[in-house]
Amino acid sequence: MRPHTILFSGAGAILALGLAVSGASARDSGFKIMMTPKWTGFPYFEAAAKGGREAAKELGDQFVYAGADHADVTLQVETLQNFLTQKPDAIELAAIDLNAVAPVLKQARKRGIVVTTFDADAAQDARDMFVNQLSYQQAAKTMLDCALMDAPKGGEVAFVAASPTSPNHMAHIKYMTQFIKDDPKYQMFKVVDTQYANDDDAKSYDVAVNLMQAHPNLKVIISSSAVSAPAGARAIEASGHVGKVFSTGFALPSAIKSYLKDGSEKCFAVWDPEELGYLATYATHLRLAGKLDLKPGTKFTAGKAGEYTVGDHGEIVYGKPIMLTKDSVDKYNF
Amino acid sequence: MRIESQALRGGDAARRGLGQFALRFRVSGVALFLVLLCAAFASLRPAFMTPGNLNAIISNAAILAIVAAAQAVVLITRNLDVSVGSMMGFAAYLTADFAAHHPGVGAALLLMPLVIGGALGAMNGLLVAYGQVSPLIATLGTMSIYRGLTYVYAHGQEITSSRLPRWMNELPDMRLAGVPLLVLIAAAVVCLLAAFLSFYSLGRRMYAIGSNVSASAFFGLRTRRIVLFAYTLGGVLCGLAGFLYAARVGTVTVVLASGWELTSLAAAVIGGVSVAGGSGNVIGAALGAVVLATIDNGLVLLGIPEFWRMFVQGSAIVLAATADVLIASQVRHSLRARRRLARP
Amino acid sequence: MTMIRRLPQWDMTLIALTIAAGAWSAYLSPYYLNIDQIADSTRQFVYPGILALGLAVVVILGEIDISLASTLAFGAVLFSKFSAVGVSVWVATPLVVAACAALGALNGVLVARLGLPSLAVTLGTMGAFRGLAFIIGSETGYTNFDDRYLFIGSEQAFGPVPASFVLFLAIAIGIGVLTHWTVFGRRCYAIGLNKEASWAAGIDVARLKTLAYALAGALAGVAALVWIGQYGSARGDNADGAILFVVTAVVLGGVDINGGRGGIPGVVLALFLLGTMRNGMGLANVPGPTQTIVLGALLIVGVLRPVIFRAFARARRLMVSEPAIPSN
Repeated sequence: MRPHTILFSGAGAILALGLAVSGASARDSGFKIMMTPKWTGFPYFEAAAKGGREAAKELGDQFVYAGADHADVTLQVETLQNFLTQKPDAIELAAIDLNAVAPVLKQARKRGIVVTTFDADAAQDARDMFVNQLSYQQAAKTMLDCALMDAPKGGEVAFVAASPTSPNHMAHIKYMTQFIKDDPKYQMFKVVDTQYANDDDAKSYDVAVNLMQAHPNLKVIISSSAVSAPAGARAIEASGHVGKVFSTGFALPSAIKSYLKDGSEKCFAVWDPEELGYLATYATHLRLAGKLDLKPGTKFTAGKAGEYTVGDHGEIVYGKPIMLTKDSVDKYNF
Repeated sequence: MRIESQALRGGDAARRGLGQFALRFRVSGVALFLVLLCAAFASLRPAFMTPGNLNAIISNAAILAIVAAAQAVVLITRNLDVSVGSMMGFAAYLTADFAAHHPGVGAALLLMPLVIGGALGAMNGLLVAYGQVSPLIATLGTMSIYRGLTYVYAHGQEITSSRLPRWMNELPDMRLAGVPLLVLIAAAVVCLLAAFLSFYSLGRRMYAIGSNVSASAFFGLRTRRIVLFAYTLGGVLCGLAGFLYAARVGTVTVVLASGWELTSLAAAVIGGVSVAGGSGNVIGAALGAVVLATIDNGLVLLGIPEFWRMFVQGSAIVLAATADVLIASQVRHSLRARRRLARP
Repeated sequence: MTMIRRLPQWDMTLIALTIAAGAWSAYLSPYYLNIDQIADSTRQFVYPGILALGLAVVVILGEIDISLASTLAFGAVLFSKFSAVGVSVWVATPLVVAACAALGALNGVLVARLGLPSLAVTLGTMGAFRGLAFIIGSETGYTNFDDRYLFIGSEQAFGPVPASFVLFLAIAIGIGVLTHWTVFGRRCYAIGLNKEASWAAGIDVARLKTLAYALAGALAGVAALVWIGQYGSARGDNADGAILFVVTAVVLGGVDINGGRGGIPGVVLALFLLGTMRNGMGLANVPGPTQTIVLGALLIVGVLRPVIFRAFARARRLMVSEPAIPSN
């Protein structure tokens, strides 16, 4: 026989053997994980994708990242439906609207696909687990602590969220309001307004401007949305309210670096989205390989991200907030 | 197409006088509406009338005013442009990206968005004037194409304000006698445009085409070239608006200004610019933008939830269109009456 | 074969393009060529498709209506109100459709009787209707729909074919018959071609326009029911932005934006083409904006085609040196 024939038939035999073997045993690698963010192009989500890709590479899985270029509920549902057709093993997403994605996610779970939400949750019965960057209470406290740094004597505060159907933002507001009422540390604050800006820069800017006009004694604008906090800082500078009104909340270091440096803002909070994405993907892999039980209290190790405990209703809290101040902001490059 | 038997000669002075009056009336219509609106809000919430608040309103309106003026220029020639948002985004992104990579660039940077916007506008103009594509379809297509090209260029990434030159970030906030520079720029641009449209023959020819294309063509006007010019001018204005938007908001995303096509149309319509072409004024369009910003601001001050704002703005547009038609028919009637009197 | 030859040329082009799009989609993604998948993918285009059918009639008349997506949102929210108090979907549907038809009729009255330009009017009602939907629906919207409301949008009728697609085909046939084989339809074409002449010939232009707008509104109400089943939620921002896709479908389908030309089969074919392309590109995870470039280019090429043909024809005539025939 010619050398080529020997080579090809040999390779073919090995391949066939390999396929037979892999079919026979339960898989613990080579999964297809598909991730979709709220929208692509936002450095936060791009970083999460980077983390996810890293975890997948480490674990020998296939990672696909796709989505629409702006936060649109219909488009996200469409993306998820397209994902479904491509027969993934798992889907990860940051949900724009917790209810709108529920039908398609439930369909996915019926087909045995593992559904993981991160950053923004979907309806609880539509997903297997939710990797929450900070527990809602933790997030609320962190933002209020930042607000304290801006206004140690307290004052009027207003909240800015994406929309009434963004569960994490609404939960933040709920807990912040509660803490302001009950916790003596935050009792000098007074909640005067809540506005919605749909994670849109221009809208956030206009909302901030209008808030400052509607409430002349406003002291702090607290934004759960990483799009709204920098826009608020911008609006404060533009309208000449620097030092009188502050913007705080969650924001990317690159977006608010200049405000921290020039002193117009004192504190923002964030977490590492890359590690968040890494954790979400790692946990998803473990679940696919049958190595993660989602009973509350289960502990597991997610590679180099560390050890975590499963909470109630499949929630896994990442729980590593970062306070961004003038001194600490240079450490981060996302 | 309605062929109106408007006499092109005779009664020229009278007609011009009446025409000017009609134009001025339209502008005063929206100005009056604005004054009433302000009075209503001020009576309900005195905080409305503070200089700080008024400043906020005109700052919010400034950029929209420029885009509304761009839309008005095209509307006057009996066309429309739904790609304004995409043109803004494309010009803004390319300029911001260039600035981020060349930090030392000075004010010469401003040429970039103007040229880019002009080129995009010219493409629209070519499609509509020479390709004879319906303006809605042509600009619907280019809206998608320009937006898509922005994404492809950007690889979906956004540009954060920290990467933009310092002077660009500070530009909109600088003030002259308490008025933000942004507003002054917008006001200057709109006034120059208005002067051009009223006093330069090219401007007036644009009105002529909008009123009656075939008559203008028979009269010897180069209709296609003028339409191309209108679109190009609109594009340049959008480029400027995009640049100012990026300077103001700081973060330049791929979807910058998407949705502005309808808002600019709304502002123009409220400002008395007729969708059927031939009448209206860029000052009216700019005032229309101020009206929209005022409604927004006033409703926030009154604590009225956002969705009422949508309802109010939509109703305002319908009312403005109704007023526009009523005024137009009045003008037509008095024109006819005048002509009947003038005949021997 | 003769029937195919009788089809308008643009429709033929659409069919050819759809087949090409299908082949390209199969090439782009191994998941495309699957009967279940293709059947399922039609779901995504039912609600814009129903809106497009309604819009087509209005455009044939020579007008436009960009408020249809807002009417859909209004309808969806109205449905939610009925579902919340336990009304049967069979009772709710005619009521909601009637309400949406009323909104459409409002557009019609403003355009036809007051003579307002339709673009400006529907621009205004677009915001007003959506605001109304928000006011009725509240900020959070409604999701606890009774299962029967969800049926049309989520279930399958025959094998893998979604019920909503069957509904779409039924409506398409109905509107097609209405437009091409009834007096109403013929009068719509007449008005679109020459409003003054139609009026002079005794056609009640105002009434017809109002009816067409009401019909479009009613169809938006039906589309709302499909939407609810598909997304399981009713809120003021439902279908926000969908109108651009709907207009694209109508125009790509060969309906002349100035009125009087084009037909329903073209619109249906255009929807198939757009659907195939979106589905294929989506399965290959092509980024959205790239899809929009392709769509935009398609739209422009589609409209430029007659211009290019005319230019060629003129050049050919010149070369054959016939006496110059004045073109319009």
